[in-house]
Amino acid sequence: MKLCVNRICSILLATFYAIWFAPIAQAYSFDMIVPDVRQPAALSGGSACPVRAHQLSSTGSIAVRWSTALNSNPVTILTQNQTASGRLTEIEQGIAQSLAVWSGVSGTTLVPATFAPLSRTATQTACGPDGVNSICFDQADMAFTPGVLAFTRVITTDRLGVQVGSSAVSTQLGQILDADIYFNPSDSNTAYATPLALAANPKAYDLESLLTHELGHFLGFSHSAVWSAIMFPFAPTPGTFSGMRPTAQQPDAPLGDDDRTGLRVLYPDPVDAVHQGSIRGRIFPANPIALPASPPGVTGVFGAQVVAVDAATGAVAGATFGGWSCVSPGPAQFDGTYEIDALAVGHSYTVYAETLNGVVDPSQITNAINSLCRNVMTDPGWPPLQGCVVPAANISFTARTRPGP
Amino acid sequence: MSFVQRRRFLWILFLAGLALLAVAANATTLSSLRFEELVNQATAVARLRCIGVESRWQDGEIWTETRFETVEVNKGLLPGVVSVRMLGGSVGNLHSRIEGVPAFRPGEEAYIFLWGHEGEPFRVLGWSQGTFRIDRDPRTGVERVTQDSAADPVFDPRTRQFRHGGIRNLPVAVFQLKLQKALEEKTP
Repeated sequence: MKLCVNRICSILLATFYAIWFAPIAQAYSFDMIVPDVRQPAALSGGSACPVRAHQLSSTGSIAVRWSTALNSNPVTILTQNQTASGRLTEIEQGIAQSLAVWSGVSGTTLVPATFAPLSRTATQTACGPDGVNSICFDQADMAFTPGVLAFTRVITTDRLGVQVGSSAVSTQLGQILDADIYFNPSDSNTAYATPLALAANPKAYDLESLLTHELGHFLGFSHSAVWSAIMFPFAPTPGTFSGMRPTAQQPDAPLGDDDRTGLRVLYPDPVDAVHQGSIRGRIFPANPIALPASPPGVTGVFGAQVVAVDAATGAVAGATFGGWSCVSPGPAQFDGTYEIDALAVGHSYTVYAETLNGVVDPSQITNAINSLCRNVMTDPGWPPLQGCVVPAANISFTARTRPGP
Repeated sequence: MSFVQRRRFLWILFLAGLALLAVAANATTLSSLRFEELVNQATAVARLRCIGVESRWQDGEIWTETRFETVEVNKGLLPGVVSVRMLGGSVGNLHSRIEGVPAFRPGEEAYIFLWGHEGEPFRVLGWSQGTFRIDRDPRTGVERVTQDSAADPVFDPRTRQFRHGGIRNLPVAVFQLKLQKALEEKTP
């Protein structure tokens, strides 16, 4: 009887968790690239399995410069120090600190030495596909419209031997060749404040929070649906900042565990003995008829966010956008598979799946979804056997779990 | 996890949920545009059907030009075929990506809030905020409208409050009424 009550309570709690978790606990995702298998295997790897967009992470491999051209009418970047040189120093400190947030995560190959020293340029139009990663605060761009604060444009390649401008020639599939961060320079209603200036400018956005988020895109992240993650698609309200400010003891303090796990997946350190845990499984609908008839071959739920919660702390340790797998030579199979990697060993995790119909919906991770497949319609001459079509994300299932063994 | 631990965990989640509602948020790359602001600021509003997508290098960047057949014009003057240019796309072996830029597939229909200066190609106003996709239920034929950014809690800088707004699964007829009302009330 006690067992039965416990089971009923468990089911009720699981349902309650599902309802309550839905808006707060989903997952990081990555910008994916399907290698161009029309190229010789020596250039494409011969596999149509999606690969993650990423920067090279060897010492000094990531160079970033920022444009010191700042809008003066209106002033969009607010600093505490009002002298010309003091303003630039304060902004540069903010950029350096945002970079250090990401390189401060343990268990990755992205370390402080990965970044070349931050450099400046006086060129107002420094951002562009020139192979130089740039941050621009006063460069007008045809992409801006009212309502757009900032964005990161990332150029990746799907084959080896490609370069953009003066970028390095690609030696890895999915290598990011150029990434530029644009802040809207011309919205008179919007300003961004450095950490030192934020308290005095409560209507301004926290420059460091936005920069750290944009640098996540710069490194290959798409959005996360974990609300405490820096890659959550919403920044803090003006006058406030994400998470905690970085400190010397914890330079990655603004990040959530989901960001850290994502970074460890994206830039794994082979000698990291702590974050070697993986959880893998598949998600099926209770009724197979619920699977979409088109495109053919869908055998599991696609589009679920599968979340691993640390059973001891309740923190979202990591998560993934589940529902597909791929074995060389590809293409991706939509079989309901998920895999959450880079979890700390020696912990217990509660795993559950949920639909993308809460705070984040499929349209917000379009890149992560649409970039899983290529086919003869999207790419003329694509080998049919390595082509696929991404099914619509399933946003209507209800998660129930079977009891463990 | 014991029952007591689960219950405690649930309460923590409950409180966290309340805290989340209290924490104001805004899209990292986007600032809030209310529906009425979208209507006001749009150069044109129309129901469009995507008929072609092409990416190419232009002005030093990869841009994607999406051509639409005009189905219905709700605001502004539009020709029978409208071109919208958005940053990003794929050319050759290079892929330019920007989170939040709406992408369309041929055959897809949407109400799109267009924005642009004279002599320039149209852009989608507020990116995901100005994109209202139309889904047709294959069984009933009922069309529903969902805004790309419908799930975003958005911050209104004037009231300094957040709201969970957006349009999600709204029948087309209801959406049209809402649009018509906003057009009639729009600021001159």
